[in-house]
Amino acid sequence: MQHVANLTEVHSRTDAVAIEVERLSHVYAGPEGGVPALQDISMSVGVGRFVVIVGPSGCGKTSLLMMMAGLRQQTEGTILCYGRPILEPDPKRVGVIFQEASLFPWLTTLDNIEFPLSLRGTPREERRRRSQAMLTLVSLEGFGERYPHELSGGMKQRVSIARGLVQDPPVLLMDEPFAALDEQTRMTMGHELLRIWSTTRKTVVFITHSLTEAVYLADEVLVMSARPGRIIDHIHVTLPRPRTYEMMATDVFGRLRDRIWQQIRKAA
Amino acid sequence: MRRPAPATVRWAILVALLALWEFVPTTGLLPELFLPALSKTLGVLYIDRHIYFAALLVTLYEVAFSMLIACGLGILAGAVVGGVALLRNLLLPIFSSLYAVPIVILYPIFTAWFGIGSESKIAFAGIYGFFPVMLSTAAGIRTIDPQFVLAARSMGATLPQQIVRVIIPASLPTVFAGLRLGGALTIIGVVVAEMLTSAAGIGYLVTLNRTILDSPRVFAAILAILVLSIAYYMLARALESRMVVWQSAGRRQKSAPLGGAAGVAAPAAA
Repeated sequence: MQHVANLTEVHSRTDAVAIEVERLSHVYAGPEGGVPALQDISMSVGVGRFVVIVGPSGCGKTSLLMMMAGLRQQTEGTILCYGRPILEPDPKRVGVIFQEASLFPWLTTLDNIEFPLSLRGTPREERRRRSQAMLTLVSLEGFGERYPHELSGGMKQRVSIARGLVQDPPVLLMDEPFAALDEQTRMTMGHELLRIWSTTRKTVVFITHSLTEAVYLADEVLVMSARPGRIIDHIHVTLPRPRTYEMMATDVFGRLRDRIWQQIRKAA
Repeated sequence: MRRPAPATVRWAILVALLALWEFVPTTGLLPELFLPALSKTLGVLYIDRHIYFAALLVTLYEVAFSMLIACGLGILAGAVVGGVALLRNLLLPIFSSLYAVPIVILYPIFTAWFGIGSESKIAFAGIYGFFPVMLSTAAGIRTIDPQFVLAARSMGATLPQQIVRVIIPASLPTVFAGLRLGGALTIIGVVVAEMLTSAAGIGYLVTLNRTILDSPRVFAAILAILVLSIAYYMLARALESRMVVWQSAGRRQKSAPLGGAAGVAAPAAA
């Protein structure tokens, strides 16, 4: 892991760490013995940081995220979230947003957003209040009684984000949330996400295939190698915030994107 | 010329068929033994209404109990077989091939075991309807998007919560399709069983009147069964569309995505 100082100064960082991955490795049980999927991964995500993980297809980045979410167990190493290990899903600490919005088609928008609260038996009025607030946060007022099939792809992902945020977890894990959207919607959603992030001050770990998206969103970009996945580069994105679309045309943006691309090409 | 709506054409065909039923026998082209006129059939149905009503009650009673068996056991067995991988691999091929067996060959055995009363009909029709319910429940559970369960787990759903809040609602559409088919098969099963060996029920009336060559009364019984089946089908459809609004709506929506009303109110619609 090399740090890059030459691309302008590194952001001022708080010392508090939200997620700490220590020497994590994972081996899949395959028909011909174990298949190493992740190899000796160590990384830490500071509180309030927006960290993007990129890497070639099949490098295990989704697996890594699922382990951070407690949805899958690694064979070796530990993941700490605010100092405590993640052993099972803990929606109070970590919210997860998937590639497919995975909204329940039999529930309305509001009922979908409230779903995590209803699992915990939160009283109905409080559920409504909080889901309404989330609906406003993701700019979907007036769509609360709609069913998922009545919403566009981008709207579904907004609902999905609202559902991930409704329990107010300090950490948000996002697994290629905009991958299924068209280019224009994707840009809009990226911008929206930054707006939501800046008002909620969550720690975000975000997986993507899109280099532009990575640079546009991230404080830090982690580049992973092909299987077995290792972290081969750690890039600090020094573009100021709030990010604007115009920044995409700047030299700094281009150089950062090129650098990620070179690393991925080498790694693939 | 403007093309009439499909619904209009459907009703027109139905009316035409009923009209043919009424007028063809009066022309003398067909002997009454083959096809008695509609009015005559309705006439005997009215005269014998107490007999037919009593028979229909017996049939309904048998259908209700066999549906209970078919649906109850079918859903239970389908859920277990569909949900547990080991059982699925072991039993599903067996159940699928059993489904292809003409179970009606077992009916004589059932009469030997349970007598010629309602019990044998219930047992036979229950098993007849069991297979489609069981198989589609198993399929419904197997084909649930694993992403739903993953999402629920990430939100901290316990296993019972995953089953009640996610797996059951997600499998409802397939289960309902099976219930509709299974229910229809139990009606067929009961009527067939009544026609083969019995002393009561609407199927019995068909057989009884056939042997004494009383054609209008045979057709009256057929008409009663027809009405029963159509009523069942419409009931099942109505229930299904109430229970799984999102499914039928989703299918309709696919061809016509988010239209006017929502589109206008969607500056946020990314």
